[in-house]
Amino acid sequence: MAEPLPVTRFNPWPTTIFTILSALAVLFLLPTLGVLLSSIKTTREISMGELWSLPASLFLGNFAEVLGNPAVHRYFLNTLLVTLPATAVSITLGALAGYVFAKLPFRGSNALFLGIVAGMFFPPQVILVPLFRLFNGLGLIDTLWPVIIVHSALGLPICVLMMRNFFATVPNALREAAIMEGANEWQVLTRVVLPLSLPALAVLATLQFTWIWNDFLWPLIFTQSDNKRTIMIGIVNLKGQYSVAWGVQGALSLVASLPTLLVFLFFQRFFIKGMTMGAVKG
Amino acid sequence: MEQHNRFWRIALLGLPLGLFGLFVVWPLFSSFYYSFTDWNGFDTNYSFVGFDNFAKIATDRLFLQAAINTTIWMAAAIILPTTLGLMLALLLDSRVAGARVFKSIFYLPICLSAVIVGQIWTWIYQPDWGLLNTIISQITGEKFKYAWLAKPDTALWSVIVAWSWQQTGLAMVIYLAGLTAIPGDLLEVCEIEGASPWQRFRRVVLPLLAPSTVVVVALSVINSLKGFDILYIMTGGGPFNSSDTLAMHMYNESFKKYLMGYGSAISVVLFLIALAIIGLYFRQLRKVDRIYG
Repeated sequence: MAEPLPVTRFNPWPTTIFTILSALAVLFLLPTLGVLLSSIKTTREISMGELWSLPASLFLGNFAEVLGNPAVHRYFLNTLLVTLPATAVSITLGALAGYVFAKLPFRGSNALFLGIVAGMFFPPQVILVPLFRLFNGLGLIDTLWPVIIVHSALGLPICVLMMRNFFATVPNALREAAIMEGANEWQVLTRVVLPLSLPALAVLATLQFTWIWNDFLWPLIFTQSDNKRTIMIGIVNLKGQYSVAWGVQGALSLVASLPTLLVFLFFQRFFIKGMTMGAVKG
Repeated sequence: MEQHNRFWRIALLGLPLGLFGLFVVWPLFSSFYYSFTDWNGFDTNYSFVGFDNFAKIATDRLFLQAAINTTIWMAAAIILPTTLGLMLALLLDSRVAGARVFKSIFYLPICLSAVIVGQIWTWIYQPDWGLLNTIISQITGEKFKYAWLAKPDTALWSVIVAWSWQQTGLAMVIYLAGLTAIPGDLLEVCEIEGASPWQRFRRVVLPLLAPSTVVVVALSVINSLKGFDILYIMTGGGPFNSSDTLAMHMYNESFKKYLMGYGSAISVVLFLIALAIIGLYFRQLRKVDRIYG
């Protein structure tokens, strides 16, 4: 066997490509860098037009202000109280439905599956008014419940899609063997199939966590009082209080993005996989 | 055995279907119902107004403006991130040093909230010390002060650029996944046969990427139809509705003016547009499957 020749695909000049990519990368990073820079500068520095230069000294007052603000604590807690249960519920229910679609199909189950998956594609505005009326009637407006419930339900399309596709790759023989041994479907799902599906669960956990954490529309519709708001709404609310305190706003944005940034840094592989899988199979 | 399977199907599907039916499917259908009423969001009483809301849509100047803006927004959302994403994917696919780092950089904006992206870009367009005006001032040598987001001529396009910045990474990873499926020997053969890089791209790579393109375009269209958060943050649809989209218009009519019946009618129109696009998408997907599957 000869050594495989190095594959040159399009450009025989790797240096040129590297330079172009580096320039684009800088351009892409600039916006984020601006927030980072603003968060460590004083308001005076920024309003004098110094936002985009490197700071002379590290100023941590903005972070102190943000982290010491009790409203920010409240927003964070509310966001966690929405994101964690909604992520867990949508994945759990997605696994239950995905198992039926993959291992116990019935007449019309494919149509039902596609119907649920299609839910991923519709603008949420389509169900805004009826949901507002429903939760208003139930007396749940201005609580976190409607946000949790709606995110759990709207997460189902992607969760069902991914769990079903993953379960489909688990050999049927495994299930049959377990049934022969006297296991029921619940035991097959929880003891045999789910332990093999950890990658799919990781993908969904990262996707759902990020989407729900970042969401703006549903808490905007369903909550009203300040102590029920989530962090993304909170940022907008605090704009008044910190109207020209650009540095505080920058620090706030960073703190608010920290959970999703951490998820992104540590689970990037899952995240990208999920985005492409969901997109390509959808 | 069949009896046994039926029990488990019902037991396992019950909760997910119940949740989905109650909070997604049922509201979808009641949207149609409310679109024929004049409900104001609070009163328990409302009356049926027939097709009045839809007649109003036909004469609503703001709806027309929003529809035009949504079309521009969608066209730009297809062209900009798709082209840029494809370009980045091709560059990264050439086994360049540090590809992993580059990939992360281009992909990073996807994990940021639309609220944060909106805020970042509001700063870039800030008239006094924003990055854009700072750069223009540096180049021209005179103080440049243009309020990009406050002028009807530039508001929509300024948001589109911010949006494209966030969406490009998604197009890039989908194209990268598509590129890995193209066999390297195929391109080598083309090269040996004397095909120029452009010919190889135009005649071999691009056609083979058709399935990825279908996915990227469909996602762009669907995501742009949902376009709301970033506009809400950056312009609120203004100035003078110059950056209003249908999703934005629906929100304003329903939750600012409390015309929930009329808002429902707009949402029905949105639903029908989405339905048409999804139909086209699935047909196209099947066609691509038949050719390349």
